Amino acid sequence: MKQALLVLTGTYTTYLLVYTTSLGHLPTPFDYLSLLNTCLPLIFVAIGQSLVVLTGGIDLSVGGIMSLGIAIIAARGGTATAALTVLIICTACGVLNGLLVARGRIAPILTTLATLSIFSGLALRTLPVPGGSIDPGLRAVLTHPDVPTGLIWLGAAVGGWLVLRRTRFGMRIYAVGSDEAAARATGIPVVRVKVGVYGLCGLCCGIAAVLYVSATTSGDPNAGMPFILTSIAAVVVGGIAFTGGRGSALGAMAGAVALTLVTDVLFFAGIDPLYQSLFQGLFLVVAVLLGSGAVLAGNRRRAAA
Amino acid sequence: MTFQHRARVLAATTAALLAAPACSTGSSDGDTAAGSGTEKIKIALSNSFIGNTWRVEMENVFKAACGMPPYKDQVECSVYNAGNDAATQNRQIANLIAQGVDAIVINAASTTGLNGTVQQACDRDIVVVSFDNTVGNPCGLTVNTDQIKFGEQLAQFVVDELGGTGNVMMVTGVAGTGADNDRNAGAKKVFAANPGIKVVATYSGMWDSATAQRQTAAQLPSQPKVDGVWVSGGTDGVIKAFIEAKRPMPVVGGEAENGFRKYLAGVSEPKVNGMSIGQPPYLSVISLELARAVVKGEHDKKSITIPFPMVNSETVKVGETVFPDLPDSFFADFTDSGPEATVVLCQEAATDGTPCPGELTVRLGA
Repeated sequence: MKQALLVLTGTYTTYLLVYTTSLGHLPTPFDYLSLLNTCLPLIFVAIGQSLVVLTGGIDLSVGGIMSLGIAIIAARGGTATAALTVLIICTACGVLNGLLVARGRIAPILTTLATLSIFSGLALRTLPVPGGSIDPGLRAVLTHPDVPTGLIWLGAAVGGWLVLRRTRFGMRIYAVGSDEAAARATGIPVVRVKVGVYGLCGLCCGIAAVLYVSATTSGDPNAGMPFILTSIAAVVVGGIAFTGGRGSALGAMAGAVALTLVTDVLFFAGIDPLYQSLFQGLFLVVAVLLGSGAVLAGNRRRAAA
Repeated sequence: MTFQHRARVLAATTAALLAAPACSTGSSDGDTAAGSGTEKIKIALSNSFIGNTWRVEMENVFKAACGMPPYKDQVECSVYNAGNDAATQNRQIANLIAQGVDAIVINAASTTGLNGTVQQACDRDIVVVSFDNTVGNPCGLTVNTDQIKFGEQLAQFVVDELGGTGNVMMVTGVAGTGADNDRNAGAKKVFAANPGIKVVATYSGMWDSATAQRQTAAQLPSQPKVDGVWVSGGTDGVIKAFIEAKRPMPVVGGEAENGFRKYLAGVSEPKVNGMSIGQPPYLSVISLELARAVVKGEHDKKSITIPFPMVNSETVKVGETVFPDLPDSFFADFTDSGPEATVVLCQEAATDGTPCPGELTVRLGA
């Protein structure tokens, strides 16, 4: 969490610096608003991914669930009813993942790799070519192009996480991620916790899908795919341990914003396109090193205690 | 740190690094000093994916055009690549809006994923021109070709050369894309209208020469008589498969690969009878001209469709429409040819973005 805030602050300061140097003034409300609206879908997928990673798992199917959600809402004209349907279907997709992982005892990476294909296939079937639309009324509430309504959803995400973490379910997530056998021995219903976590991850992907269609005003059945790796990257930058049990979804949210800001930093710094991925990679390496540095320091402290 | 832990950290790092190239940035190519004394107009190219020959040529000819008069004196160009990630391209376009550019030329990562940001550009009176993979939002202009005609014209050529009778194979492209659908639909319509033509096989070459060659080699043993082939992409691979199987060369309707045109011109043996049509990389230059003309008020705010650059075994010319010293995979249609040419560019423009000598004239047509 500390590491994620450090990375975010550093990235934001650099952004301010290169933006001001390049344009001669500070970022305008337009910049922040468009940044917010572009960030929101990734923020939600990153929250979902971080919940799964906290249990020691990984969810590759987030891209498929999100694509399916995008396809459904766009194909149905983007009404509020369609949005609700999407949230239900996406949660169901997540629950299916959870059942396969927890009941079927299949490794999360294999389960979600398989379901990724299934969900993205269904997305293509629902919306074969990019298109569809969103109800302007719904869009005005979700991601208004001129009013930062997105802040409501960002606030809800932060608040939701803070509440969740303090619930019994939230503590059980950490318990399962830290030591599954011990958790089971103390009577924690591991299967139910995992199904719940994957279900919540599906719900987050559904919210991300609705926000994505709202921000872009229509759907693309492949749009979820880039979110698989970027959500994992956000979790990495967010300092959540892939061994499970350590980290905070807030870190992943900060990571998501930092990753988006890097694009802007490179843009205004005028970095040659040929070096762009090099710099992106360097950024991630630094963030990951900060993370494993923190983990090592933590281990040492625990060993000393 | 256990081995398992290390492995997981490694996997996470790899995933993070893999995610990285999806994002991007840009560089400014134009000189800031206004040569002619008047304020230069700012036009940015926002491209998505840059990992294949076509996209590289497309960007090179754009850069070359920016270095040639009249663009050299009138336009300040910049080029950005976003990878196949609509979110990154959205950020870039939003940043271009913040920069206050006059026009944005786009090859989109998603036909629909940029609609919201493009609307905001339109709202600020920025001219948006998209080409190749165009933007769906109707507030922007588009420059493109008619992919249905691509299929029809090549199919009609094969039908005419065969005198209306014969066995034809169809090598299609990447399924699920608009261009593949349209090309196949156009071809099937023409073949269906000619009852003497029998389509004996239809398979995908994935718009890739190596794949097309492998798939064709697999088909040939079960096809005793092939008189014509219609190829959506990877044409030189199809021809190589026929050569390796020691089969008589059919009439070939195909894309604009330099390797294919070498066979048409007889630069490579054997000389093939065929027609070559392609999606021209210079769509970026046409878009640049449309953006410039609209900003200057010299052209109506109207989308345009340009004709395909086309050659056949008779009209193909070494140095103009086929280039013996360039690789087979190069797209030889980086320049148009003939008296009605939309735009004529030199070889160096396509290979490394060097401006060609002289002034650049672009015909936008009606």
